[in-house]
Amino acid sequence: MAAGDPVRRIARALPGCLLAATALAMPGALGLVFLYAPDEKVMGAVQRIFYFHVPAAMATFASVYVLLAGAAGYLWTREERWDRLARASTELGLLFCTLVLVTGPIWAKPAWGVWWTWEAKLTTTLILWLLLAASVLVRSYADSRELAARLGAVLGIVAALDVPIIYKAVDWWRGQHPQIFRPGSPAPLAPEMKHTLLVCLLVFALFYVLLLVLRIRLAALEDRVAALLERAGDPEVTAP
Amino acid sequence: MKSYAFLFWGYNVIWLGIVAYLTFLLVRIRQVSRRIARLESACSAESAAGRPAGASGRS
Repeated sequence: MAAGDPVRRIARALPGCLLAATALAMPGALGLVFLYAPDEKVMGAVQRIFYFHVPAAMATFASVYVLLAGAAGYLWTREERWDRLARASTELGLLFCTLVLVTGPIWAKPAWGVWWTWEAKLTTTLILWLLLAASVLVRSYADSRELAARLGAVLGIVAALDVPIIYKAVDWWRGQHPQIFRPGSPAPLAPEMKHTLLVCLLVFALFYVLLLVLRIRLAALEDRVAALLERAGDPEVTAP
Repeated sequence: MKSYAFLFWGYNVIWLGIVAYLTFLLVRIRQVSRRIARLESACSAESAAGRPAGASGRS
């Protein structure tokens, strides 16, 4: 690709633009959460965690489905670029799933009186976290880059199978977790709450794309280091 | 008031998590870019000297 290639210029400018957009949108989202959205009648102020807990859950699901695409692409073609996408998405999925699992109990303690309960949605989300953590560990400790990519891809596909189970857990097992979005029924949210949630979803989408672009760039640089070391005949290259 | 304490910690956890990961990525990208520059200059210096790349070990 030529140095002046517009695609390359856009790719170089993208993280900066995304960072600027996120930095501008984030205070707006916080303002809406604390100043615009009304208190929920039953739960009061603590319900406001919902505005970031739900987008974090959406970002987790998005990460896992992008991970599925990367994993399937790698197993099908064995091309490094698919593995980079899968590697990046695994880490992002783990990050956002951790945020979901931490903010959930912070809401649950005042709402339910307990930090954690072995309720279906919570348990299946914990299983997703464990699968993503296992994938990150397997990638770190595998004997070769090829094995790391293959095992990571298989675990990624298993993790993706858990997402529909999490989504339907309340319907299937009648758990305690609130179900705000049911297909075919209007969302029980006041317009101010709906607007706030939409802006928070946008902010998390920006964050998600920013982190994904940066993590893929890092993975590409790490692969370049490995290639250079391989050229130099360094035994370190067998490590992922 | 107790609800606000939970809310405060909830939001802190979210932003600390995201900002910490963003910082980690930016720092790591800088470190790996520097390492690539060092490796490339070492490789090109060795090529110019007529030695096989990596003959002097890693940088």
